[in-house]
Amino acid sequence: MRDWREFVQSKLAELALPPGTKADVVDELAAHLEETYAELRKQGMTEDAAARSALSQVKDWHKLQRKIQNARIKEITMTNRVKQFWLPGLLTFTISMVLLELVQKFFPQPFILHLDHPPVLLFYVPWLLTLPLAGALGACLSKQAGGSRGMTLLSSAFPVLPLAAIFLMAIPVRLVLSHTLSHGIVAAAFLTLGVEWVAVPALVLLVGGFLAQFLLSRRSDSRRIASS
Amino acid sequence: MIRAGVKRGTAELAVLSILEDGPLHGYEMARRIEEQTKGALRFTLAALYPMLYRMEQRGWIRGAWETSGSGRRRRCYRLTPAGKKKLSPLRREWAELFGALRRLTKVSHA
Repeated sequence: MRDWREFVQSKLAELALPPGTKADVVDELAAHLEETYAELRKQGMTEDAAARSALSQVKDWHKLQRKIQNARIKEITMTNRVKQFWLPGLLTFTISMVLLELVQKFFPQPFILHLDHPPVLLFYVPWLLTLPLAGALGACLSKQAGGSRGMTLLSSAFPVLPLAAIFLMAIPVRLVLSHTLSHGIVAAAFLTLGVEWVAVPALVLLVGGFLAQFLLSRRSDSRRIASS
Repeated sequence: MIRAGVKRGTAELAVLSILEDGPLHGYEMARRIEEQTKGALRFTLAALYPMLYRMEQRGWIRGAWETSGSGRRRRCYRLTPAGKKKLSPLRREWAELFGALRRLTKVSHA
């Protein structure tokens, strides 16, 4: 008895669809081949002849893969973006904001880093210590929804994206509008805030995202080895 | 007026028409189309599934996994209300094309 599922899976290995959708396509095509084969065997064909005849339905698997992908991709692009980016990202954002609120309530004293020259950097260390968990959660959800490596990391760093966007928009506006303060002071203030609220939290969130991605990849590798 | 995409529409018409009688999985759909057209219309796996997925994306049909009495899992397709609505204009276009071809061939043979 041929393993049609394994055969179709190997032929459509590069089908770039979310795991669930891809598995459905593989199962469906394998079932079709299996039924064709069984019917031909019933008609008296030998195993080899029946298998050859069933497989003759597909001349070019690459072409079929492309056609399936084109047919499916439009349908799922929007859904994917929501599942792989927006939902994990918004959840990560909410969790990190709740954690910040709690830290500011129970550990209101920030860690102050004095550099050689002002400005001074302020960090809520307990918040930074919990952020990898939020980043890891975002990465896990995105990965499980079939997110790519880039999408997964972007989801884990989502909480700092709105702040980064605000900074990017506010800096040039503020530099143009501030007549009373020197541009050097305004730029230094933005830089300080950027390091405190964007760069360092992003780094910490990405540490969580990278770790989650690494562990999930290892788990799926070991599953693949076990099943082969 | 027969639109340019009518040729591709005939394959879609065949699928919509066969599903009008009730839900079917891909293999059975191809088998019945071949049987009812006495082999004139044949759908290979490579032609059938991309079309089914495209029609599903357009909302004309909907596929769902079902388990048969023998325990075999199959993805069965059924017509959606949008698919039923699509069927009448497709039939009309096809009839128009047939009529036009018939007239044309009669003239040619005269």
